[in-house]
Amino acid sequence: MKWRRLGKIFDPTEHELANNCKEFAQSPQALILGDRVRVYFSTRERDPSGKYLSHVAFVDFSRDFGRTLGISHATVIELGGLGCFDEHGIFPMNVVKHGGRLLAYTTGWSRRVSVSADASIGLAISEDGGDTFRKHGTGPVLTSSLHEPFLVGDAFVNVYNGTYHMWYIFGTKWMANGRDTRPERVYKIGHATSDDGVNWRKEGRHLIRDRLGGDECQALPTVIRIGDRYHMVFCYRWVYDFRTNKANAYKLGYAYSDDLNNWTRDDSQLGWTVEEHGWDAEMQCYPHLCEVDRRIYLLYNGNDFGRRGFGLAVMSE
Amino acid sequence: MTEFAQSPSVLPMDDCIRVYFCTRPPPDSQGQYRSFLAYVDLDKDDLFRVINVSPKPALSLGRTGAFDEYGTNPISVIRDAEEVRVYYAGWTRCESVPFNAAIGVAISHDGGNSFSRLGEGPVLSYSPDEPFLLGSPRVRKFGGRWHLWYAAGKRWLKPQARPEPVYKIRMASSEDGIEWQKYGRDLIVDRLNADECQASADVGYRDGRYHMFFCFRQGLGYKTRQNGYRIGYASSLDLHTWSREDHLAGIDVSEEGWDSEMIGYPHVFTHNGATYMLYQGNELGRFGFGLSILE
Repeated sequence: MKWRRLGKIFDPTEHELANNCKEFAQSPQALILGDRVRVYFSTRERDPSGKYLSHVAFVDFSRDFGRTLGISHATVIELGGLGCFDEHGIFPMNVVKHGGRLLAYTTGWSRRVSVSADASIGLAISEDGGDTFRKHGTGPVLTSSLHEPFLVGDAFVNVYNGTYHMWYIFGTKWMANGRDTRPERVYKIGHATSDDGVNWRKEGRHLIRDRLGGDECQALPTVIRIGDRYHMVFCYRWVYDFRTNKANAYKLGYAYSDDLNNWTRDDSQLGWTVEEHGWDAEMQCYPHLCEVDRRIYLLYNGNDFGRRGFGLAVMSE
Repeated sequence: MTEFAQSPSVLPMDDCIRVYFCTRPPPDSQGQYRSFLAYVDLDKDDLFRVINVSPKPALSLGRTGAFDEYGTNPISVIRDAEEVRVYYAGWTRCESVPFNAAIGVAISHDGGNSFSRLGEGPVLSYSPDEPFLLGSPRVRKFGGRWHLWYAAGKRWLKPQARPEPVYKIRMASSEDGIEWQKYGRDLIVDRLNADECQASADVGYRDGRYHMFFCFRQGLGYKTRQNGYRIGYASSLDLHTWSREDHLAGIDVSEEGWDSEMIGYPHVFTHNGATYMLYQGNELGRFGFGLSILE
């Protein structure tokens, strides 16, 4: 693979977003509509205690991503009620159009005491073409289980041969790097399938081999089919010191499969080179693959987890 | 452990009647409790005579960030061939509400003295219409099939600073006790009002009918005699449809003493041809559990 980088295409600080959101446009995810590509992302407000709440917003681009056509000015999806899994944020949200339905798979966050947060995957449905989404229940459709004990999130759904496939992540452990530090999480990529997009069966294994060892964190899988091969891009990092240290920060990983069962990890085949300087030099994270007018695009975030927006690359061969 | 003996659950042994329960060390500096699994062995011929008490918790708490990091309470113990299983509600602590719970399972291979969890996560967790607080498990096997009654959270009430949950009795069944199918509806009609909390549904089969004892209380102000836990009763022919007839429970709070304000977490068992009910009393079992016999 080769990629031509088109640079940063959206900066949230240049827009008036709903819900008092000023910064962050994280985990861009595309929905292709008639004359436009709608990109959902998660942005943030600070609550009265100074902590963040993540809200979903969107920006519409022309089909070649050359022009910005508009942004959402109202709430796209409400956060959950008191005690619900998505009370403190939805980040990210993956939108799937299939069989006349427009479904959103949300990662809902809520705060904990001994660790920062837990997460589960919710389902929401749009009946107005993707402007707003209504939740399917107040609880999640995919959550913790015996061997996937917490932090179930980052759903990415595609339908292949009539089966809904979900790639997602689940936590395996919380680790503290010394006595007085907050625990940090480790998570891995998993896979589940469904006949209806609502009731899911987990496959129950780590899908993608670690490159950095057992404490590698893998996030945001995105899958696209090109010919007979399925291609997955995701991001991965070291468990500690990943926020400001480029060596440990998120980078893009890659795996392929010809049967949706066996995945071969080979990051070198992605053909991605990291720049010395610029908006995505320190970190590359939260990738999303989409095909528009026979071009394959990669949306992603750069430095500081997308605080100042997201960018785009187009596959050149 | 100095206080609390909650959620009694019986396991008949060759030489004694073992009663598992949940107990607590003193609270931490913020007044927060943890809760552990323990047991007491009672003389078969005199259930008021204690033979032995577990020397240490029979199950450890979960690791950092796990659903059962802060407690395993309530519990339900069942024998399955050579194994003994405990189903328990694991406690975690949250920021906007005081806690959350999901149901875990642990297995003993030493006859019930010590248990190890089957996984770090829950065996029964949340779903679109059961968003939080899955607790109060009571497990039984009927006709080779596993049945789990549990309480599922509906909403949090917040008329004052500390939110209080509303929860209702639900049910799931399973071939193996691991993969569960939820029934997906509240089983027992409310008697008090929509904010009634229901828990600890203990079901037995007798004379062609399933009998359920459970406890219920008001959603708020329940630490008083007026609003505290009482024991309710329902029966069913098919496990699906339940008729609630609390007057048939045949037990109420005492005029005075350890069970004068609330009675809850009933557990029914038979021994030497008699039917007994264990239950916890005032202050949610701070001072222990007691016994009654079916007349």
